[in-house]
Amino acid sequence: MAEDKKPRALATQAAGKIPKFVRGSLSATLKAKEEGKKVAYAYIADGQDEIMRAMDIVPAWGESFAGVCAAKRDAEKFLQKAEADNFSRSLCTYATCTIGFDMMREELNGEPVPGAPWGGMARPDMILGSGQLLCDPRFKWPQATQHYIPDVPVFVGNMYYPPFDPKLDHKDQEKFYVKYAADELRELVKFCEKVTGKKMDWDRLAALTELSDKTWDLFIDTYELRKAIPTPMDTGDAMNTMVPFTFNLATQEAYDFYKDLYDELQQKIADKKGVVEDEKYRILWGAGLPSWFALGDFQYFNNKGAVFPVEVTYRGGEKIERLDLPKTNDPLEHIAWRWVRYWTHWYDKARKRPGSIPKVERIIEYIEDYKCDGVVFHSAFSCRSWHAGIIHQANTLKKVYGDIPVLIMEGDIVDISSYNEADTHNRIDAFIETLDAAKKRKG
Amino acid sequence: MEPQTNGLATAEKYYNQYGSRAKDLKESGKKVIGYLSALGPVEILTAAGVIPLRLKGNVSEAITKGDAYMETVVCPFVRNVFDAAVKGRYDFLDGMVLPHQCDSIDRTNDVWSDVLKLPYWHFLNVPHVTDDPSIEFMKEILRVFIGTLEKFTGTTITDEAIAQAVKAHNENRRLMRELYALRTANPPLISGTEMMKVLVAAMSLPVQESSALIESVTKEVKERPSSKDMRKRIMIIGDQIDDVAVIEAIEGAGAWLVMDDLSIGSKMYWQDVDATQDPVQGIAERYLRKLKIPTTYVADGNNYEENLEARFGHMKKYIDEFKVDGVILFIYKYCDPYGFEVPAVKSFIESTGASVLYLEDEYSTSALPRAKTRIEAFLEMIA
Repeated sequence: MAEDKKPRALATQAAGKIPKFVRGSLSATLKAKEEGKKVAYAYIADGQDEIMRAMDIVPAWGESFAGVCAAKRDAEKFLQKAEADNFSRSLCTYATCTIGFDMMREELNGEPVPGAPWGGMARPDMILGSGQLLCDPRFKWPQATQHYIPDVPVFVGNMYYPPFDPKLDHKDQEKFYVKYAADELRELVKFCEKVTGKKMDWDRLAALTELSDKTWDLFIDTYELRKAIPTPMDTGDAMNTMVPFTFNLATQEAYDFYKDLYDELQQKIADKKGVVEDEKYRILWGAGLPSWFALGDFQYFNNKGAVFPVEVTYRGGEKIERLDLPKTNDPLEHIAWRWVRYWTHWYDKARKRPGSIPKVERIIEYIEDYKCDGVVFHSAFSCRSWHAGIIHQANTLKKVYGDIPVLIMEGDIVDISSYNEADTHNRIDAFIETLDAAKKRKG
Repeated sequence: MEPQTNGLATAEKYYNQYGSRAKDLKESGKKVIGYLSALGPVEILTAAGVIPLRLKGNVSEAITKGDAYMETVVCPFVRNVFDAAVKGRYDFLDGMVLPHQCDSIDRTNDVWSDVLKLPYWHFLNVPHVTDDPSIEFMKEILRVFIGTLEKFTGTTITDEAIAQAVKAHNENRRLMRELYALRTANPPLISGTEMMKVLVAAMSLPVQESSALIESVTKEVKERPSSKDMRKRIMIIGDQIDDVAVIEAIEGAGAWLVMDDLSIGSKMYWQDVDATQDPVQGIAERYLRKLKIPTTYVADGNNYEENLEARFGHMKKYIDEFKVDGVILFIYKYCDPYGFEVPAVKSFIESTGASVLYLEDEYSTSALPRAKTRIEAFLEMIA
């Protein structure tokens, strides 16, 4: 039985709507069959959102379901199921959690798994993976899942961007990276057409791509309101408010959500209402996925007068005009350009600061824009994609920017066995003392 | 070059003094470029006139310096090699090329380049997918790589030079396969421990010297008196196992290691580069489509069963050809590419009738006693 956990206090009304949003997305997968729609297992930040939405494919997001299981502290039975078939505990626990769930559902001949959080996910009609620079599980997870549902077809496309090399100008390579990403998206369209038996409506795709662009802009405009002092929203909320952007991109609901959030934050700023009454410390969440079972730790920071006005995690968009995208009438090419430029748009800054790297430039930009006093990273043991390289980011930040308090927390995204609340809070207490001392030194 | 007559002793020497030949060549004025993984495009390095050196760590040495820069969630092999590099073991390198094999390499590229500060650095962005657009992309990134090497070495890498290097490396692979064939005999003409030393030595030498070494070992092994020591025959599967410790654990427990599907073993030597008009085309196809590694997504079949055959069918052939009784899957902890396919590969091999032992371990001898106990139990089970 899942352990009861007191929910984290939420600062915005918008964040309070998120559980309904997530539940809606999960139940949409369960209702899809009745509505004659196809369900796809999908993975976030793969650049495939507009294509799925344009073809009325209902995404079943593995990361979302695993995150829900973790937040409800109800993932262990799925992790153990996967482990029993030799999936190591050191592998991505988003993946092993959902694979364990898939194994149970297949043992029930595809019927819902009793007691699965929020009803679980429907058996998919297809799996849409992605080989990329972000994360190996995005192509290994679909393959491993197919072992248990072998009749379900899998597509894996590649979405790359030029790696950072201070001696090379990435713009010299952009065109062939964009061509490659667009070609792979075209392969995805072909695959979806085959599985759904429907032709792509290219006008609809173009309209949804435009809607995504508008949502990117609004998302950033909204989040930039958090620069206000006191900040009207912190990362504890953002780990919720990222949901529409991450899982519902290319839908009107996502756009409307950020419109409401924008209005709410503006009102909070006008009323001078911050996340905490006495905002003492402003912290950047520098990198890493959170422990979904311990989101209450953000509240613990808040209780100490510390707020997170900005985070790198799940801020997967940028103002479109800042990316200076070349004009094209091909929506796939547009998505490809947006992808490549998004991932590379801190490269030039990094090149100008000897010894820096793009990830650190992004951190510096946020520290300055949001007036942060320190940086917190979270290192999850089961995830290399986000969490390998964090020490280097922290070291480089200190080297090229100056001494700033940094805390690297350790845990996992789903596996609660790694978590010790007392130790975590002790480390937070020590970090707050460091922040305080640093602020006093600065005067 | 004079033919060698003492191949096994030479292999032992280069195994024990890993990289010493490259270091000597560096002192004589050659440039040495290190690389990681089976995806290192050695043909291009050879064509550039540099000495390619596949990097390895030391399983007997604890990580003492690398952890200050690199997380413990990273692949234990990558951490160990990095630790060795930080401690100065590879200080003689002029540069490195890191092929994009997995997250543990990709996500630590900055760490390697910034900490080691070698004069030449290149991250080769190898795709995970093998369709036609991926081949075209692979050719593009190989051309970028060639351009950076040309700039670094100050020489033009001609198609002719690449074609010659392709020939030399194909010959090297043919010779190694010839040596592997001696393991089909029962008992095998060369032990797994000896073979591991040859594989490790071979990847540390310029291609011509590597070929001479392999030829010499083959000759020596063929000529020595044959053994009558019949034992259970084992195949090992994994990524970079490059030390005799695990092999000695297997053979010390009374079996022969007769075949491998390792990234320094058969994965490296079973597939040649086709001679193509544009030599880069053949190289792109070999590294993307022919290499059987879990970081390449293979799905050319019409259904899941056919895809399994495309991914693992070669293992079935090895089991038949090398008369394998049992298979050990030796997978490093924190390895998503290998770890996620354990259930699939295990059931695929078991469907051939061979027994499988799955071990998850570190790139370290510290945890080996536990593995040894399980290996001994496995051998008893299949006896």
